[in-house]
Amino acid sequence: MPISVNMPRLSDTMEAGTIVRWSVKVGDAVTSGQVIADIETDKATMEMPVFDDGRIASLLVPAGQSVKVGTLIAVIAQEGEPLESAARAATAVATAAQATPSVPNSSTTATKSDSDASMVAGATAESSDEWAAVRGASVRVSPVARRMAEEHDISLGSLQGSGPGGRIIKRDVQIAMENTRSRSAPATGASELAIPVVANQRPSGGLVIAGLESESVPVSSKRQIIARRLVESKSTIPHYQVSMKFDLDQLMAMREQLNVDLASVGIKLSVNDFIVRGCALAMAKHPYVNASWAGDSISLHTQVNVGIAVALDESEGGGLVVAVLRDADRKSLRAISAEAKAMGEKARTRGLSLDDMADSTFTVSNLGMFGVEHFTAIINPPNSAILACGAAIKQPVIRNDALTVGYEMVATLSSDHRVIDGAMAARWLNTLKHSLEHPATLLV
Amino acid sequence: MPPHAADIRSPFDIHRGASAPRLAADRTPPSAETLCKWLRDMMLIREFEVRCMQAYQDKKIGGFCHIYIGQEAVAVGCVAAMKPEDPLVTAYRDHGHALARGMTPEACMSEMFGRVDGCAKGKGGSMHMFDKTHNMFGGHGIVGAQTPLGAGLAFATKYEDEVLRKGKSSRVTLCFLGDGALNQGAVHEAMNLAGLMDLPVVFVVENNGYSMGTSIHRGTTQGHDLRSKASGYGIDSAIVDGMDVLETYHGMKTVIDDARARSRPWFIDMRCYRYKGHSMSDPRKYRTRDEEDAWETGDPIGRLNKQLQKQGILSEEQAKDMLREVKNEVRACVAFADASPIPAAEELYTDVFVESWGRYTGSSKPSMLGGGTNHPSFKSIDPSTDSTEDLV
Amino acid sequence: MSALREIEYRDALREAMSEEMRRDAKVFLLGEEVAEYNGAYKVSKGMLDEFGPRRIIDTPISESGFAGLAIGAAMQGLRPIVEFMSWSFSLVAADPILNNAPKMLYMSGGQFGCPIVFRGNDGAGGQLGSTHSWCVEGMFSNVPGMKMVIPATPDDAKGLLKTAIRDDDPVFFLESERMLGLKGHVPEGDEILVPFGQARIRREGTDCTLASWGRPVHFCLEAADALAKEGISCEVIDLRSIRPLDIGSVVRSVKKTSVCVVVDQSWSFGSPGSELAAQVHRHCFDDLDNFVHRVHTADVPSPYAFNLEQEYLPNARRICEAVRAATYNA
Repeated sequence: MPISVNMPRLSDTMEAGTIVRWSVKVGDAVTSGQVIADIETDKATMEMPVFDDGRIASLLVPAGQSVKVGTLIAVIAQEGEPLESAARAATAVATAAQATPSVPNSSTTATKSDSDASMVAGATAESSDEWAAVRGASVRVSPVARRMAEEHDISLGSLQGSGPGGRIIKRDVQIAMENTRSRSAPATGASELAIPVVANQRPSGGLVIAGLESESVPVSSKRQIIARRLVESKSTIPHYQVSMKFDLDQLMAMREQLNVDLASVGIKLSVNDFIVRGCALAMAKHPYVNASWAGDSISLHTQVNVGIAVALDESEGGGLVVAVLRDADRKSLRAISAEAKAMGEKARTRGLSLDDMADSTFTVSNLGMFGVEHFTAIINPPNSAILACGAAIKQPVIRNDALTVGYEMVATLSSDHRVIDGAMAARWLNTLKHSLEHPATLLV
Repeated sequence: MPPHAADIRSPFDIHRGASAPRLAADRTPPSAETLCKWLRDMMLIREFEVRCMQAYQDKKIGGFCHIYIGQEAVAVGCVAAMKPEDPLVTAYRDHGHALARGMTPEACMSEMFGRVDGCAKGKGGSMHMFDKTHNMFGGHGIVGAQTPLGAGLAFATKYEDEVLRKGKSSRVTLCFLGDGALNQGAVHEAMNLAGLMDLPVVFVVENNGYSMGTSIHRGTTQGHDLRSKASGYGIDSAIVDGMDVLETYHGMKTVIDDARARSRPWFIDMRCYRYKGHSMSDPRKYRTRDEEDAWETGDPIGRLNKQLQKQGILSEEQAKDMLREVKNEVRACVAFADASPIPAAEELYTDVFVESWGRYTGSSKPSMLGGGTNHPSFKSIDPSTDSTEDLV
Repeated sequence: MSALREIEYRDALREAMSEEMRRDAKVFLLGEEVAEYNGAYKVSKGMLDEFGPRRIIDTPISESGFAGLAIGAAMQGLRPIVEFMSWSFSLVAADPILNNAPKMLYMSGGQFGCPIVFRGNDGAGGQLGSTHSWCVEGMFSNVPGMKMVIPATPDDAKGLLKTAIRDDDPVFFLESERMLGLKGHVPEGDEILVPFGQARIRREGTDCTLASWGRPVHFCLEAADALAKEGISCEVIDLRSIRPLDIGSVVRSVKKTSVCVVVDQSWSFGSPGSELAAQVHRHCFDDLDNFVHRVHTADVPSPYAFNLEQEYLPNARRICEAVRAATYNA
């Protein structure tokens, strides 16, 4: 039997992957464990090893193309199997599997509108509806409609087909093109300038802004996935934000002292390291902040895995990945610091591994290094909350009823209201405030 | 019961309307040289057919293969009575006619081997021997189908001579058919038309007594004297002994000369016998060994050989030499056919149409899209737009 | 300038034959009632007087015989025109016209061609019933080695028949009893020929390509008129010859309209219409907005009753229905 190689699920949230490159070609011998491709997931570019020995019989997905997890991407012929027949057999099996019939709607009688069906009674199978079950639930599109949609960058998913059985036909695409044209036409009145219109629901939720000239830049599948997941998060999770100001005088002083003391061993603690530690410790008292909405239940996680949002270089196309510090509540400040530093470096250079990014239960996003005072963040599913930290800013402050100079930071917790109530968020912030304002507690 | 008894010779016997003038048989004796040539031609056909059987069994020859052994005198005697410009058309048991008409054994054998040196470049096969230079208009595979064609060939020569050249009809077509073909409608339509139109065609029924495995008495009315078939169409007819090449020649010479002179059709009940089966797969269960033996004792080749030796025209030694020579010639033609190349794959697409279409590609004709002159009153369609580029 | 000369389809056929017979003495006409009766449908009227009985030849009712005879004559180098009073009667001559004529050149390895024209009425005449209403193109066009021409108008009938007579290969020329009286402009001139394999755009349009040949072209034009009133613009393409088939013209049109309806008066199963539809699918796969729809005669023997016969044909109403369905306007 030939061996089917399917697009692997390389991250917990991965639904599709892009073959960045194949490192083998048809005919190559492969051994178990050998890397045959690099695959870009929503989070990283991963190496994909195989699990069997044999020879590559076919590579079904070209480099650059994105396919769903589970899609057949390659076939390995086992010893003694001819390449061609192996490729054929595996492809046939895959095709049959993909054509898993949806439950045919037997109450829908076929529309016998075509002249052939009436002519050769019962003999002509060309009329469309009988085959619906065989084809499965995929979108039906006439060939020319498919071609026109591609040419004019119109998402077929956004269209409602008006043909038999919901087939998207040329007319549907033409109407969509017409709409797009009229929307992107130069504005004639002020009201039309006011709000950009969502032209369609592409995965990126792209906005077409009236009257603006822009250069179109193709997006990587990573960005597509980030875009989709953020839209999904922002539009499906009931977000709300609670902000709090933190007095960081003591923390900054302690950090300065520790960094002087530990410089000899190469340790340099960041404010964020303290925050991560503080967040992790706060979970013991507030388990709902370290939880996930699971539809009909809430999962309270026993582990505290704090994700740290890491921005990638804009020159590399930007993007955001989340490095995960596992069991952050059980790690020392020093360990957290070292690990966060290493992960950030890895994310920006070699890319994070699946493990590096998996299983976060809470996320910290920090733009303090850019001098940002205050911002809000979008929850990173399946987390229920994310903390957005501004900079620790030296400014006039009131201490003991006296105006003086001190460090203050504003942090904002975005929460999923299905899991965390407002008061809960406030109480969690207070816990965090207490530890950050009494930083010695973070050392023990 | 044998279809027509071997022990009773079939003397030349003309049957025509009572008012028709008497027709005397042309008994002008052929030269000794001619007689020797006939003997050699018959030997060649027989030896050729023997090697065909061998090659068939060696799978060198495919499809159907109909062996002419026993009937050699018919082809040789008839062709001897024809002129080179007279058309000849026959059915599928056609190797003998092709060879008698002058096709080389190499071309004939190569055709059966499916090779490029075959008379039809390997596209016709055993049943379809064509040779334009020798006015051999084919063997034809469908029983009786060649009979209207034979009438048509006679129509054409007559039309050429009389209408185009304003002269007198000068050629006679020989159209061979088997006794089994007499039960096909096309044959009767052709005879009716030939009689109606005064076509100079001689329908030679090679009456070997069997249509495939069916004795003539089981398949055809008036099997004892087929001439009655012709009289219904007002066509003169004769019985000719096809087991004796001299008899065949004299009878056919008489008939052909008359057909030429009067531009009229003739019908010949040519009595003969095929020694082998209908085709290579025929076990001949429908007749007895005794019957076959009886006929083979009257073998045309043996008869002429004996006669020539008796007359001192040919010594026994010379006859043996002749046979040895013929055997060598046939062996050589088999070797030739075996060495002849198989047709190039491109040959599949040639000779479909006379008109040059470039390579024939099926039901459409892409090269024609750019060709031809548009009718002045027609909307001009530019055939050279790029949208047809993939129309290959 | 004088008014354009208009003649009937049958006159156009006669002009073509007569001109070619004057040009080439090898050309002759034979068939039932072609000479003394002046043609069963008066196509050969007067030709006996001009060319005499040696070239305008009455035959008995003996299709197998005279078709085969003509093929033999063609092998010898003459150029016969065989008139079948109806193509329905050619079935008894199936062996010569299908097994001999188109194959002779091939099986003789290029030695013997067959320059012959078989012509006659094809398709439903008018209440002729099951045996006399054959559309032989469905069966016969299946055979390689022959050309098949089905003209729809008098000018094409003349121009194509002249081409057919000059062609060195067997040509099956399918006329229609229903069109013999059709009048149209036919330009004068001995050398006005219409090549095979070139379709003619009978009407331009943007929404749907109607591809047809022979009599149904007129049904298509009728349907196109009706559909225009509904806002559906049809392009009507007359293929004129089935073999060779000008698929290029159809493809060009379908690339524009994205919709194709094939109208063919033969039965649907294994027909020129199914062949054309397959070829359009092949060449226009990414241009089609719907599968190629086909309108054929109903898949039943030809009926006798007037209303049934009308319904049986690929008439304008059925074409309109197919176009509406194909353009999603049903």
